[in-house]
Amino acid sequence: MSLRDSAIVAYAETKVMEKSDRDVWELGGEILESLLDKTGLEKREIDGLVMAGLSSTGAGNVFWAQTTADVLGLEVDFCEQVHTGGCSAAGCVARAAAAIDAGLCTTALLLFADTGVAEHNTRDRSYRSEWTEPYGLMGPPGAFGLLSRRYEAQYGLDYEMLAKLAVTQRAHAVLNENACEKLRKPITIADYMNSRMIADPIRLLDCVMPCDGAAGLIMMSRKRAKEKGLSKCVIPIGYGERTNYRAGESVVDVTRTGHEAAGRKALVQAGITLKDVASFHPYDDFIIAIMLQFENLGFCEHGQGCQFIRDNDFSYRGNLPLNTGGGQISAGQAACSSHNLIEAVRQLMGEGGARQVKNTANALVTGIGWINYARNWGTSAALVLVPEL
Amino acid sequence: MNINDTLDVKREIKRYGFSKPYWDATRQKKLVIQYCRASGKYQHFPRPVSIFTGKRRDLEWREVSGKGEVFSYTVTHRGTAAFRGHEPYLVVCVTLDVGVNHIANMVKCDGDEIRVGMKVAPYWLPLEDGTHLLMFQPDR
Repeated sequence: MSLRDSAIVAYAETKVMEKSDRDVWELGGEILESLLDKTGLEKREIDGLVMAGLSSTGAGNVFWAQTTADVLGLEVDFCEQVHTGGCSAAGCVARAAAAIDAGLCTTALLLFADTGVAEHNTRDRSYRSEWTEPYGLMGPPGAFGLLSRRYEAQYGLDYEMLAKLAVTQRAHAVLNENACEKLRKPITIADYMNSRMIADPIRLLDCVMPCDGAAGLIMMSRKRAKEKGLSKCVIPIGYGERTNYRAGESVVDVTRTGHEAAGRKALVQAGITLKDVASFHPYDDFIIAIMLQFENLGFCEHGQGCQFIRDNDFSYRGNLPLNTGGGQISAGQAACSSHNLIEAVRQLMGEGGARQVKNTANALVTGIGWINYARNWGTSAALVLVPEL
Repeated sequence: MNINDTLDVKREIKRYGFSKPYWDATRQKKLVIQYCRASGKYQHFPRPVSIFTGKRRDLEWREVSGKGEVFSYTVTHRGTAAFRGHEPYLVVCVTLDVGVNHIANMVKCDGDEIRVGMKVAPYWLPLEDGTHLLMFQPDR
């Protein structure tokens, strides 16, 4: 009995939209239909609903998962909403696996649906209203401005290396038909360097563009997947999550993140090392977050991120394929930040099309959730996936 | 680069009950920070319990100098709604002498002067209700 006894048997996603003209539940319904078609399951066989709470449309509704079950006509034994911000998608996989393992449900629909651009219902309750908004600190870009400047003071920062990541991801988005159409244009190093400052040193092309869309997965036990003849599946074999890294310290080194702990846990559980990672699908809300994950997961030493970027090829044909769907920064941030996870599943199922990676031995997916005060971020997650053998 | 001090921006501040002593002290332009007696350490922003022990009873408020050095900074070129039109302005994260980080605006400082490690002192911006907002200025 463990995480790896569960299987992801199908994925679905809508195209990323600048602004949806359809209701968030219509998008959810589209995902449900697509997943039923792909698996041949009957709706009544779904007895678990696990929803990412990172839905700007849904989050104002404290009954989000329940009302969604009602709207979609789902009768379930396990109804769950996962609130780890940008870690919610990976967190949904871990929690669904745990629920299946514990016998709480047998077949789970994981649903990531958000139309936050068209309909934003969140209401913040945090330190912000008292301790950062009175100073005009602009949410995540402001926080990453502070984080980047500190990194630069500690280690130095070659912005052209961050540009390399931006250019690579953009090239992947061009190959991804589901990426936001507005972003499917190649960019150059110069485009990145010359993009206007938002929260210096954070530039426009460092930032994600919030978009609308939905995605979903079906999970069940491997045994049940076999019985159902669902042979093409993806297995979660390692997961780690850490919220409030170094919470009991007043001043922390902001270049050290919870991925130090979450990554180690996920890799040990998976029984692989970073040298074994076949493709990497890190959470990307700002370009520098990718570099910080290289360092904190242990791909390279702290402070060596730029050198690591210089030394590696992150294209889908390269030695370490990175966010092969374009990442959120180039495909658009949508569907509760689940697209990097969906892309990893797609690649492991060999359905990457024009951007298919050669090595599908595994994929490492991560999450970053929420921004805390004068630190880096609230939750870090790491998930190792492998194709069914 | 010319930096806007943003002194004429109207600030809306939603305050939590457990931070009241902080704001009360600012009426006299005094900075008080939560101190945990059990661990001998300070914490900011204010919490209902010690972040070191998890206990409420370990906390007290202590007046501190408000001096420190810049931990990091960002030049905001696209401000929040209330600050729109006042860009560029500086948001700094300052490590106070007592070992906590405090985010605030930096005034009387231009874009060429600001740097990580720079020594700063408090600057108090009067608010309509008689309290003050802590900001920082270069400690020249």
